[in-house]
Amino acid sequence: MEHNAVKQILSCRDVSKTFYGDGKCTEVIRHIDFDVTENEFVVLFGPGQCGKTTLIKMLAGLEECEEGSISLENEKITGPRPDLGVVYQTTALFPWCTVRGNIEFGPKVRNKDKKETRKRADHFIDLVGLKGFEDSYPKALSGGMRQRVGIARAYCNDPRVLLMDEPFGHLDAQTRYMMEEALENIWQKEKRTVIFVTNNIEEAIYLADRIILLTNRPASIKQEFKIELPRPRDYVSPEFLKLREIITQAMDATV
Amino acid sequence: MKKAVQLEKIGWVVFDLLLLLLGWIFLVTCTSAKDTFPDPVSVFSMLFTSFVKPIGTYTMWGHIMWSLYRVMVGFTLASVTGIIVGIAMGSSKIAEAIIKPIFEFLRPIPPIAWIPLAILWFGIDEASKYFIIWLGAFINVTLNSYVGASRTDETLIGAARMLGAGKRKVFTRIILPASMPQIFAGLQVAMSSCWMAVLVAEMVRSNEGVGWIIIRGTDTGNTAQIIVGMITIGVIGFILTTAMSWIERKVCSWNTTL
Amino acid sequence: MDEKQQKLLEHEKQQRAQKRKYLMISVVSVCVFFFVWELITGILHILPDYTMPSPVKVLDSFIKKFYTKTPDGEILPVHIITSLKVSLFGFFLGSVTGVPIGIMMAWHPRFEKFFRPLFDLIRPVPTVAWIPIMILWFGIGLGAKAAVIFVSAFIPCVVNSFAGIKQTSQVHLWVAQTFGASRREMLFRIAIPTALPSIFTGLRLSLGSSWMALVAAEMLAANKGLGYMIYTSRSLGRADLIIVGMLTIGAIGAILSYVLGIAEKRIVKGVSR
Repeated sequence: MEHNAVKQILSCRDVSKTFYGDGKCTEVIRHIDFDVTENEFVVLFGPGQCGKTTLIKMLAGLEECEEGSISLENEKITGPRPDLGVVYQTTALFPWCTVRGNIEFGPKVRNKDKKETRKRADHFIDLVGLKGFEDSYPKALSGGMRQRVGIARAYCNDPRVLLMDEPFGHLDAQTRYMMEEALENIWQKEKRTVIFVTNNIEEAIYLADRIILLTNRPASIKQEFKIELPRPRDYVSPEFLKLREIITQAMDATV
Repeated sequence: MKKAVQLEKIGWVVFDLLLLLLGWIFLVTCTSAKDTFPDPVSVFSMLFTSFVKPIGTYTMWGHIMWSLYRVMVGFTLASVTGIIVGIAMGSSKIAEAIIKPIFEFLRPIPPIAWIPLAILWFGIDEASKYFIIWLGAFINVTLNSYVGASRTDETLIGAARMLGAGKRKVFTRIILPASMPQIFAGLQVAMSSCWMAVLVAEMVRSNEGVGWIIIRGTDTGNTAQIIVGMITIGVIGFILTTAMSWIERKVCSWNTTL
Repeated sequence: MDEKQQKLLEHEKQQRAQKRKYLMISVVSVCVFFFVWELITGILHILPDYTMPSPVKVLDSFIKKFYTKTPDGEILPVHIITSLKVSLFGFFLGSVTGVPIGIMMAWHPRFEKFFRPLFDLIRPVPTVAWIPIMILWFGIGLGAKAAVIFVSAFIPCVVNSFAGIKQTSQVHLWVAQTFGASRREMLFRIAIPTALPSIFTGLRLSLGSSWMALVAAEMLAANKGLGYMIYTSRSLGRADLIIVGMLTIGAIGAILSYVLGIAEKRIVKGVSR
């Protein structure tokens, strides 16, 4: 009933996907159905290799739905569109662009006003804490810093929805905690609808408004959890640990 | 510490050069090789005087300029055509299907083997030389641009499309820069191949150029002239490849493997 | 599941059709290439016979060349065998000396320090620039050509063997050391296997450049061989024989590198490329 109060923005209607190739069919996604409301932080949480990346690609319009449909504000997603921003696990930064070049890439290719773009980029460079690195190339940055650029790049294009595909998957534990805090911080300042994929339970509970637990391949929705702990959350508070136990058990039951 | 290593290196170079020189002197004074082998004094005096005293119609500078000019014409033409054809093949499946079989059919033929046909087609003047030099570079540049463009990371293309880049922007801002390192690798090889092609072209038919110097040396039995020519060729070749990698480092400074 | 199976079949059919489409384009492209060639030469005679013969003429000359000695004095198989003999001989010498020297240079620092400057001195000189001096030293017989080809095969072998050995992982060497391997054993059991793919790259490059050097050498000084054949045909205005020669040179070059590729697959195992 609460959906009446807030605006619904993205809906995933009964989506399925099977890959055909090498003489066999691999069913990756089976009847996934969920809605996301505006400025909600949704975490898609499931075991590794369960088809989460495929789901993100379909949400982004980079992969077709086989059955069902995905729509953004009642408009069907048929291809890549700039009001959906993606943050990749591999960062997918353009190595030949500087930090600024990467962050300004979206507005630039969409022929946005140059001065405006520069100001936006400055704002986000500051927000993700990369001041002083504007003219560095990605190869000179650490993994965490690269992902900061990735996040800033997605934000700078001003998307309605941000899709994040295990953005911190390649980082070491220490950096990961730092990045989770940073992301939370950014999100608090620049509210946006986020769909975040991960296989890390702590990360999921730390960031999510709602966790959608997926089963192993073919992925389907096992259970949903609303996380209503106050932010910023404490990794070792009893409530946090309790949730962690509940969700872990639910997940173990799926494997 | 670093200085000591460097000093040792220089020491070895000097030691090697001295050894070479001694061996050379021994060869020309104490063995029968002196008939076919020039002595160091005549080689070096010729090397230095050749820059003021003409060999044939030109001084050494003139010959070097002739050869370099030919290389530059052929190389520039080849870079432009090769990059266009290669990237077309790498980014469009239809272009690949059309061009690749013909390209693969002609590729194993060494550029030098085209010389006789080139002379028949373009005469013995400059045009046939440009053709040979162009061909030598074209194959390398095309192949590398093709590989570079076809191996562009799909994720990067996807990322650019997500950010709002259309087909044309994906091409100019993703595929083109992404192929740059590979293209430069091709240009690097092409440069050496051009340098080699110009020598053969000049040896086969010409009245000037560093290739002419050495073949003229053979015809007149002037071994000193051959060695002088070879030294010049080596030095210029070295300068060309060094210049190419310098440009590459400037243009592709973002490349992680450099 | 039946529906899925259906879809799979559908999908595979589509993929096959796609592949067939591109294959068709390729076939058409090749056909058009030869047709246009024939059109401007054999049918419309836009280009005269002595600059560009028609493909039919080339094929005809190719077959005839197997038993006709004119105009260059030898039949095609003799030219081929002459060229092959010289280039394989030079290639063999170049690789047999080049590979060990490259390995030694990378394995023994002393050796490297001594040989590196000498090697760097000759490396920038393109192999074809050696032709004149070799002709003067060895005459226009087999010696000069073999020497030029030796140089052209030697350099890539040294460079790539050297680079290959330098790639040896330090960790592997440590492992071997803790198992008590001698330095000699480490070279043969670890460094050389590591370097094998790179050594083969060197051999392939050597083969290509020795084949090219041979053509250059034969054009400048020879009385037999494929390079000689195409060069003589030029002064006689026999473009058909030039093209026959070029295609033969290309074909043999391709076959040689293919054979080496097979040898490589047999010898280099367990290395993903």
